Amino acid sequence: MASTSRLDVLPRVTCPNHPDSILVEDYRAGDMICSECGLVVGDRVIDVGSEWRTFSNDKATKDPSRVGDTQNPLLSDGDLSTMIGKGTGAASFDEFGNSKYQNRRTMSSSDRAMMNAFKEITNMADRINLPRNIVDRTNNLFKQVYEQKSLKGRSNDAIASACLYIACRQEGVPRTFKEICAVSRISKKEIGRCFKLILKALETSVDLITTGDFMSRFCSNLGLPKQVQMAATHIARKAVELDLVPGRSPISVAAAAIYMASQASAEKRTQKEIGDIAGVADVTIRQSYRLIYPRAPDLFPADFKFDTPVDKLPQL
Amino acid sequence: MSPYDVDPVQTTEDVLFGSQFNQPKELPTDFSSVDLSFLPDITQDNKEQNLFEDGHEMQKELDGTTPNEDSSILTDESSLAYPDASQGTEASGVCPPLTPMAPMTPVTPASESSGIVPQLQNIVSTVNLACKLDLKNIALRARNAEYNPKRFAAVIMRIREPRTTALIFSSGKMVCTGAKSEEQSRLAARKYARVVQKLGFPAKFLDFKIQNMVGSCDVRFPIRLEGLVLTHQQFSSYEPELFPGLIYRMVKPRIVLLIFVSGKVVLTGAKERSEIYEAFESIYPILKGFKKAS
Repeated sequence: MASTSRLDVLPRVTCPNHPDSILVEDYRAGDMICSECGLVVGDRVIDVGSEWRTFSNDKATKDPSRVGDTQNPLLSDGDLSTMIGKGTGAASFDEFGNSKYQNRRTMSSSDRAMMNAFKEITNMADRINLPRNIVDRTNNLFKQVYEQKSLKGRSNDAIASACLYIACRQEGVPRTFKEICAVSRISKKEIGRCFKLILKALETSVDLITTGDFMSRFCSNLGLPKQVQMAATHIARKAVELDLVPGRSPISVAAAAIYMASQASAEKRTQKEIGDIAGVADVTIRQSYRLIYPRAPDLFPADFKFDTPVDKLPQL
Repeated sequence: MSPYDVDPVQTTEDVLFGSQFNQPKELPTDFSSVDLSFLPDITQDNKEQNLFEDGHEMQKELDGTTPNEDSSILTDESSLAYPDASQGTEASGVCPPLTPMAPMTPVTPASESSGIVPQLQNIVSTVNLACKLDLKNIALRARNAEYNPKRFAAVIMRIREPRTTALIFSSGKMVCTGAKSEEQSRLAARKYARVVQKLGFPAKFLDFKIQNMVGSCDVRFPIRLEGLVLTHQQFSSYEPELFPGLIYRMVKPRIVLLIFVSGKVVLTGAKERSEIYEAFESIYPILKGFKKAS
């Protein structure tokens, strides 16, 4: 629509006093207004505002809008397709009670799969309460991968899940593979494979995960107060700095740090509970905990208030 | 030089089987210990050279004298009077590669060479026996063979001497895995071919090719994988959630290296031993740069 372009084509209409000035379109009244002097030079340009104002207490079934949903031109291939609405009079029904003219199908068939994937992405993101910016980023990634066709053989759901994982990583709020698995029907192995393939196809890379990325989420899911969360973050960071846990996944180290911090505070959590939230086996937490336990006094922050002193921490 | 005297009956059987083949050339009468020489080894090159070399290989293998089989074969070959032996064998893609024992010269000067030699752990090779096989028959009659057509469409056969496993398909193609050196892989493949032949199939030994070689070694110092993935982003993939090692896909010899925090390195994807050595020599200075300070 010409409504989005600011520069008008000059032969059509210009302000008589300022031939060079840019004409601003005022969509509400359908005018073209000179930006220099305010003169209205065009008239009766198509209005792109809504036809009717709809209030929330109006009867929901009678939506008089004739323009359909918001366009999504960035993602779909342009949404311009004709749809036949539901019938109103008696003539629109044939003898069995079905409506005649049943065309609600074959809209934008070229990107039906893509729209399906977007719906799936939105559902997945909804389950873990991801904000709209991550969903948009995921949709963009999916579109890029889909257009490239290098991963055409892979299940769209797997690619969608992997795009969701990448988007969370890129936005600086990574989700573990297990968390994405929990909202998707695809196995972790397949998501991991698609993840690597997509990074190669789009030639991007992602930052390495750190222990601190998951602390706030895990600690709030466990109901731990801020002090414990800060202590756990500090413990995990120090443990990685002192290289007490070489080769361990940052998730396992984070889980062990949370365990240590919670056991030293009034809000104790068992390994099983932490393992459930973090998606880590409790033996794994035990292993990482054994590695950080010897240096426990050095790992706690200086201002931590111990409910259980350091030497009385459980030793597994 | 003790012959292959495990089963004296075998030699007569082989003569019997041998007569069934059209031998396009007469057997060299120098060595009586060779059992596998009647398997016509049809390659593009001089067939006799291959025969000789197999014979010598066999003797070296059987003697079990030295672990450096490569070098001994090399010296043997050089002592042979055949003028085109070296060219023929080195030009052939089918013969075992007679690579020198020293690794290929690295980019860095020799004084900085690591002094660590990756050890080969696994060789995967394929060979075409060039005849249709009845897998059920083979599985029933051969020892150490398993065949479960519902699970996998090949007979899985194992031998003890070079401890290897072979997958034998009904088309006559065979995959041999588990050998620790190129010569052992070829020897093992020949042994499998002989087993198949003894069961009555007219097996040949065509197009022996090494498809994959895996090597491993230890740089003996811990490595900072996070640093490595930051600087070599386009080659490295390090996802601790998926795999604890860093996957480095080297471009120049196309080799994949798995690099672990402990300093152990696994190299795979090579078709030649030299590729493994070259890849390790290229990666060693990089790894030294990411040594953990402790």
